[in-house]
Amino acid sequence: MTGFLNSTAAARLRRFDLPILATLFLLLAWAISIQRATDFIIFCVFVLAYDLLYGHMGRLSFGHMLYLGTGAYAAALTAEHVSANPFVALLAALLAGGVVGLILSPITVRTTGACFALINLALNQVGYFLVLVALARWTGGEDGLAVTFSKVGPFDVGDKVMMFALALACLVGVVWLMRRLTDSPFGILLRSIKQNESRVRFLGYDVVRAKTLAFVLSTSLSAFAGGLSILNYAYVTPSFIDTGRNVEVIFASLIGGAGSVYGAVAGGVAYMLISNFLPNYVQRWEMFLGFALLLLIFKFRAGIWGSLVARFGPRRAEGT
Amino acid sequence: MGVALRGAGPILETRGATARFGAFTAVDGASYRLEEGETAGIIGPNGAGKSTFFNLITGLVLPAAGSIHLAGADVTRLPPHRRVKSGLVRTFQLVSVFDALPVLDNLTLAVIHADPSLASGPGFLLGSSRRGGLEEAGVAALDRVGLSAKANWLTSELSYGDKRKLEIGIALALRPRVLLLDEPFAGLSDHEIAEVLRLVKAIQGSLSMVIIEHKISHLLDMVSRLSVMHEGKIIAEGKPATVLEDPTVRRVYWGGGQGRGLVEARGTRKAEA
Ligand SMILES: Nc1ncnc2c1ncn2[C@@H]1O[C@H](COP(=O)(O)OP(=O)(O)O)[C@@H](O)[C@H]1O
Ligand SMILES: [Mg+2]
Repeated sequence: MTGFLNSTAAARLRRFDLPILATLFLLLAWAISIQRATDFIIFCVFVLAYDLLYGHMGRLSFGHMLYLGTGAYAAALTAEHVSANPFVALLAALLAGGVVGLILSPITVRTTGACFALINLALNQVGYFLVLVALARWTGGEDGLAVTFSKVGPFDVGDKVMMFALALACLVGVVWLMRRLTDSPFGILLRSIKQNESRVRFLGYDVVRAKTLAFVLSTSLSAFAGGLSILNYAYVTPSFIDTGRNVEVIFASLIGGAGSVYGAVAGGVAYMLISNFLPNYVQRWEMFLGFALLLLIFKFRAGIWGSLVARFGPRRAEGT
Repeated sequence: MGVALRGAGPILETRGATARFGAFTAVDGASYRLEEGETAGIIGPNGAGKSTFFNLITGLVLPAAGSIHLAGADVTRLPPHRRVKSGLVRTFQLVSVFDALPVLDNLTLAVIHADPSLASGPGFLLGSSRRGGLEEAGVAALDRVGLSAKANWLTSELSYGDKRKLEIGIALALRPRVLLLDEPFAGLSDHEIAEVLRLVKAIQGSLSMVIIEHKISHLLDMVSRLSVMHEGKIIAEGKPATVLEDPTVRRVYWGGGQGRGLVEARGTRKAEA
């Protein structure tokens, strides 16, 4: 049995993945509205950041809203106190995510499995409390903060088309980066750690260093997504760091097929479609999401992307 | 003393190395020396502590007492990956390769370790793992163990024997100074044993090697020195023929009956009273 695509055709398609991706999101914007598509895109960046740890390195975090929130508040506070330039805010978000990740990595990186998941959750809870209560003087507590961004030349984040274009450019950049990262020897190192961390040490690699790097990359990019959200919404509230919302990115990652760059994007879009449109038709839509997840876990372990590849993708050499 | 011996002394040495799990002593004060270029064997019944001894040497288990020296340097407290950097490489009794990766990807990290210029800095993070020189080095390493035709297979699809060869291929790709093989023939068919045996003989002499075996037969014509472990202790050591005549060794194997297969394989049972 051969796949729908042979491997050269698949490789050729892959060369054009970024334009194809951009086109699909333009179509999506046309189909559902440009603001919603911007939302989808930013969420996809978050899923990509999340899946670097989960899909590629096998670390399931229940507390990634902390890093998204770090970026969101960093962007908002930068806009408020430092500079109203949206690009400065975005850079601040990225750096804040990196710094927080670096500070927390000695605690998180040495753990695996449930411990890793729960430590991140606990830290997320602490972050939520800080934002809501302890640092309420700066964060605006429950009310949050409204921020205004200045124009940079003709560029205005308040313009929904320009904001869409910025978000799409960022997504394309992040997809490119993730693809390079995961196709590289570093990607092999992450997948080897996922499979058998102890064995990797006997190949001469410092696994703690590799895991720290992956963790910090993931927290930075999550925070970058948080910063983009603030550019898009022009306000920040504690919902950006709410532990209860971790489930969104976990679901998206599972739906798309963890461990694949395209899968993460597919999962992000699929989750957003479900959560944006299902409530229009079904009252307790979360229940259906739960059923969908059960189905995924028991029937389609590979997720949307994995199933597509299995169905239409190239096959490896047969026989022998 | 230790430093002065660098280069001239043993390439690998343990002094009173001891491994404890709770109250149980798995390796009990093992003192061992391996000379540069030597191929040595360790035998002993199941549970004697052979694998744990390798775990001590390679840093998987930290010693409760004693020390481990590599080329004269004390590595007792070094983490495993630092010992690999000093040239200490091992395989595992239960084959340990990366099943979820393509066969070729199993070699990538090893060939980069041996030659960092293949993918340094940004090239390691962002360069393709299948680019020219890197892929060639991986395929060459696979070729050495006769697996280059299966480079793009998923590792989980390999037979156990092929996985064993792959693991040895990974070990060789790391360019070891000291190679520790833990029961490299276990679980293989006769045909596969012959293949692995040929492989091991081909590299003999170009590096220092310790081979653990449960059965002696494969080792006898290969090793210059044989050590026998029993209940965590090295109870005898020397030329294979001499060791097998040693009264203590004979008591351990023939008295207990545990090592019967081992002795039968050599056809020396006639000596039994
Ligand atoms: N991690 C461990 N924890 C507890 N006991 C262990 C551990 N590793 C080995 N042992 C015990 O140490 C003894 C020696 O085991 P091992 O070194 O595997 O023997 P061999 O390789 O000679 O067959 C066995 O009794 C085994 O159960
Ligand atoms: Mg053993």
